[in-house]
Amino acid sequence: MKTLYSWLKEFSPDLPAFDNLGPILSSLGFSIDSAEKIGFDADGVVVGEILKIEKHPNADKLSICEVSLGSSTKKVVCGAKNIAAGQKIPLAQVGARLPEGVLKKAKIRGIESEGMICSASELGLSGYDNSGILVLDNSLKPGTDLKEIFDKPDYVFELEITPNLAYCLSHFSLARELALYRGFKLVEPKIRSFPLKENSEMKIEIENSSDCFRYYAIIVKNIKNKKTSDWMFERLKKIGLNPKNDILIDASNYAMFELGQPTHCFDLRNLEGGKICVRRALDKEKIKTLDGEDRELSKDILVIADSKKPVAVAGVMGGYYSSVFPDTENILIESAHFNPSAVRKSSKILGLKSDSSFRFERGIDFELQDKAAFRIAQLIINQNPSAEITFVSDNRPYKPSCLNIKSESERINSILGTSFSKEEIEKAFKAVNPSYEGGDFSAPSWRSDIKTIWDLAEETARFYGYSSIKSQTNMKASAFCENPYHEALKSISLKLNSLGLFEAVNYDLVSLKEIRALLLNEKEAVELKNPLSSDFQYLRPSVLCGLLKNLRYNINRGAESVMLYENGKIFSLENENIKEKASTAVLMYGKLREEYWRFGEEFLDFYHVKGAVSYLFSDMGGFALKPCSNAPSYFKKDLCLEIWAFGKLCGYAGAVSSQVLASFDIKESEVYAFEFDTDIYAKAFAGDFYSRIKKAVPVSQYQHSTRDLCVVADKKYSWEEIKKPIENIPDLLWVKLIDVYAGKNLPPDTRSLTMRFMFSSMEKTFTDKELNAKIEEIYNKLNKMFGVSLRSS
Amino acid sequence: MNKQEWLEKLSALRNEFEKAAAEKKSSQDIERDFLSKKGGLALLLRDLSAFSIEEKKELGSLGNDFKKKVAEYCAENSSNPVSDKKSDLDITLCGHPYPKGHSHPIIITMEKIISSMNKLGFSLEYGPLAERDYYNFEALNFPPDHPARDMQDTFYLNQKDEKGINYLLRTHTSPVQIRVMQSKKPPLRVISAGKVFRSEAVDASHSFVFHQLEGFCADKNISMSDLKWTLESFIKDMFGSAAKIRFSPSYFPFVEPGAGVEVSCVFCSSSKGKCPVCKGTGWLEMLGAGMIHPEVFKACGYNPDEISGFAFGAGIERFAMLLYGISDMRQLYENDLRILKNL
Repeated sequence: MKTLYSWLKEFSPDLPAFDNLGPILSSLGFSIDSAEKIGFDADGVVVGEILKIEKHPNADKLSICEVSLGSSTKKVVCGAKNIAAGQKIPLAQVGARLPEGVLKKAKIRGIESEGMICSASELGLSGYDNSGILVLDNSLKPGTDLKEIFDKPDYVFELEITPNLAYCLSHFSLARELALYRGFKLVEPKIRSFPLKENSEMKIEIENSSDCFRYYAIIVKNIKNKKTSDWMFERLKKIGLNPKNDILIDASNYAMFELGQPTHCFDLRNLEGGKICVRRALDKEKIKTLDGEDRELSKDILVIADSKKPVAVAGVMGGYYSSVFPDTENILIESAHFNPSAVRKSSKILGLKSDSSFRFERGIDFELQDKAAFRIAQLIINQNPSAEITFVSDNRPYKPSCLNIKSESERINSILGTSFSKEEIEKAFKAVNPSYEGGDFSAPSWRSDIKTIWDLAEETARFYGYSSIKSQTNMKASAFCENPYHEALKSISLKLNSLGLFEAVNYDLVSLKEIRALLLNEKEAVELKNPLSSDFQYLRPSVLCGLLKNLRYNINRGAESVMLYENGKIFSLENENIKEKASTAVLMYGKLREEYWRFGEEFLDFYHVKGAVSYLFSDMGGFALKPCSNAPSYFKKDLCLEIWAFGKLCGYAGAVSSQVLASFDIKESEVYAFEFDTDIYAKAFAGDFYSRIKKAVPVSQYQHSTRDLCVVADKKYSWEEIKKPIENIPDLLWVKLIDVYAGKNLPPDTRSLTMRFMFSSMEKTFTDKELNAKIEEIYNKLNKMFGVSLRSS
Repeated sequence: MNKQEWLEKLSALRNEFEKAAAEKKSSQDIERDFLSKKGGLALLLRDLSAFSIEEKKELGSLGNDFKKKVAEYCAENSSNPVSDKKSDLDITLCGHPYPKGHSHPIIITMEKIISSMNKLGFSLEYGPLAERDYYNFEALNFPPDHPARDMQDTFYLNQKDEKGINYLLRTHTSPVQIRVMQSKKPPLRVISAGKVFRSEAVDASHSFVFHQLEGFCADKNISMSDLKWTLESFIKDMFGSAAKIRFSPSYFPFVEPGAGVEVSCVFCSSSKGKCPVCKGTGWLEMLGAGMIHPEVFKACGYNPDEISGFAFGAGIERFAMLLYGISDMRQLYENDLRILKNL
């Protein structure tokens, strides 16, 4: 709420200076979001008249002005371009207090200046042209103190008021809060009550008591002087409203920001049929609201209607045709209490918010309606003594009552962890409700938010300050459980970081273009109903989407190596149901290693991505990389492997399709990636710690022996095929491929494979003869199955 | 061999040893000749096995005395006979470029927070990002028409849940509270962390996707003092033992009383004049907290007259930006390697 310091001070005369107000308000849960100093705050600045202007002898851009202050004349150096003889200007005299400090006597380029001609900003005045000095009204008398011309210093601040503090959405109610909780003096607004004659020309009907709790209405007639008083006009303008200089409109706003009760004034001429009905709108019924919009209504919208048509959207905005016009002289003042959720519903459906709906939604003081109506009447009567006021109705089908809360000081202490005495707690209760006199508590009419002992605990803490809650504990020690998914994430990060990969974090929202760029079908993607923009319209179907964007971003900034990974969620639709899965993706592009003085640069390729997957999954049960029959659209068909673990297909690894790279505006073609289901990976971390630890395998105390074998094989046999029959022969610890060669000295369509075998036995050290026999056996097997031959060197 | 012969052999060994010592034989050679498994003294001592117990004692002691003497001599005179050749390596050339990668600053910050809370007995739980209105709002005491819903601009999805209400992207991590409390019984001490979504325009300090941390405790006799102690312990772990916290009233529908939590600015001391981090106030707004609202407990089937608890939450980006000195939140989502590599 935009708040005016001086307005607040009207009700809270011993309010501290503005600079000290912030901590007091925040101790009560209000925060000042922004503040602006307005008005004139300087001493020693008077109106001067420029009599003569001469050029400064030592500076091209400076002038020397002779300025008359009426009783004396000053010689002043000035740099502004817009000065002219005969102007009235603000002159700060030597010793003047300005916002930036005290003005001292100064010699400017050798000439003594007896003051300073000021611009608006030098005087701390906002809303003026600051390109030169401030030119004042020519009718002003030289020597007049500027304090007499401009407004007094004041502050406008934006006070953040959370929904639970909505009862402070006015200057008076905020002052009341400061008085009750912090002991400042409170001056109640003087609201006249009028002896009212009944008026029978209008009848009020409330269709449903659950929509409208109270409808208070009076009629004021014969209003001739409609000009809003200057003080009211200024206040409304300062808090950011747009006063219309029509008292019938402005007084209603003024009362709302003074007291907190939204009201509405109808022009009596345009209320047809002598009745007002608070009812639900009919479907397709229409109203033109005050803002000039034609709106179609529906049966969920609460309206005020005369006998023929809706004249206002209840609590939200008045109708145009029944509103106050320049020639309006007779009005009906509505001061009602509508059901908060009814107002909220109307406001939501119409997409229309107002200061009024804001207050009704949050709940208002249910005893304020008559006062607010009188307040408006009073503001009108003040300038229209001959106006006549009559009473229409105080239709009150439902009176909210405040719950009785059992006063248990023990309970409050146990919630807060404090040790307030019963008396101390009752003192706090009295701040909430000044008429509290001990015993059970019931809230005042403006605090319908208080329903339970927890609410009273909060009030007690607000009253004594939250610092009364000490940092101390009696909590028992608590058992702590590991989370398998989190353990998986930690393990993944540790391993991928050690490979030189950096972790990325991307938005989960992507565009239709990006989904299509991945060659995926958007019909299987989850779309937002209300996206911020088309760039963020869908939930990502793959983590790679963001990494590809990161790749482009980094390449465009000169990166020669991009190695990134990300853990996150991916989304898809399966039979119209949202599927949310944990996913990890890795992207590798460019150099694995820069040139180094011992060896050249190394570029990432398919085997790096394969190696990274194998490293990551090395301890997983049933880990395997299998040729891919159904690769995701964004991989190259023949450069893609399935990742298997725990008997499940959990992801894919390979080279990113050229089409996808082109769609992401990536010119480079060698980009490798893998993505897998993190939940399957996390299975390795499920269960108790001891049960997932790999048991130590005994090693032989006899020497191990290695033997190499180099064969020439037809290229049609994959290494996987060749390895299969030999990897499980007895006493073989492992077999590794240490060289692959094709080309010169070999028949076409063949390649040589150099394998290294490691043999080990628990019983003995193998002799050369035994080892040779084993190698021969292997060779014979391979020869028989694949027709390999020995490579002659 | 009789006793006499044995003693003669020992005496011969002694002479040999003295001779070797006089010739300044290397201690390695002496060790090999006398003390090793096949050395003279070892063999002689092994011969004792044929003697009677008394003789074993007597001769053994003589033999061991000598063994000790030789061992001492070797230890005293041992010198490393292998001398290093002068190296011609330029040891100032840079070392092998092992790869170096690391986690994202948001995740590093999140992990620190999680481990910090783990130490206080809080276990980690997760929840879905595509959430039901019930978990995100209703069960957290945001009734359907409550204005507090306006405090969190929500993204909705096209799909509807069992109640016919559109799914949404969770606006906070608090739905995890409901999910955990509905599936487990107190005492509970739980922390959750992850992405949340708000339909807000992106600028230096706002993002429509950001990370949140959530913690709660549900047990008997839990008070707001316990909350303060917990948060103070956590903050000291994050920002050092000199860090302090203070509470002020604040509002979140799922807690009552509610508190805003400020942390004393630990960056002030390092700058002269007005601290740019806290703008000279000395305090940083870091968390929201409070006592779990009785309506929330009721929604989870707990009796609020028996079980009490606290909850707290914070934006992780705010922590990360402070810790890493990043002033624009968007930078955290650009994944610019020039920045990531230097963190």
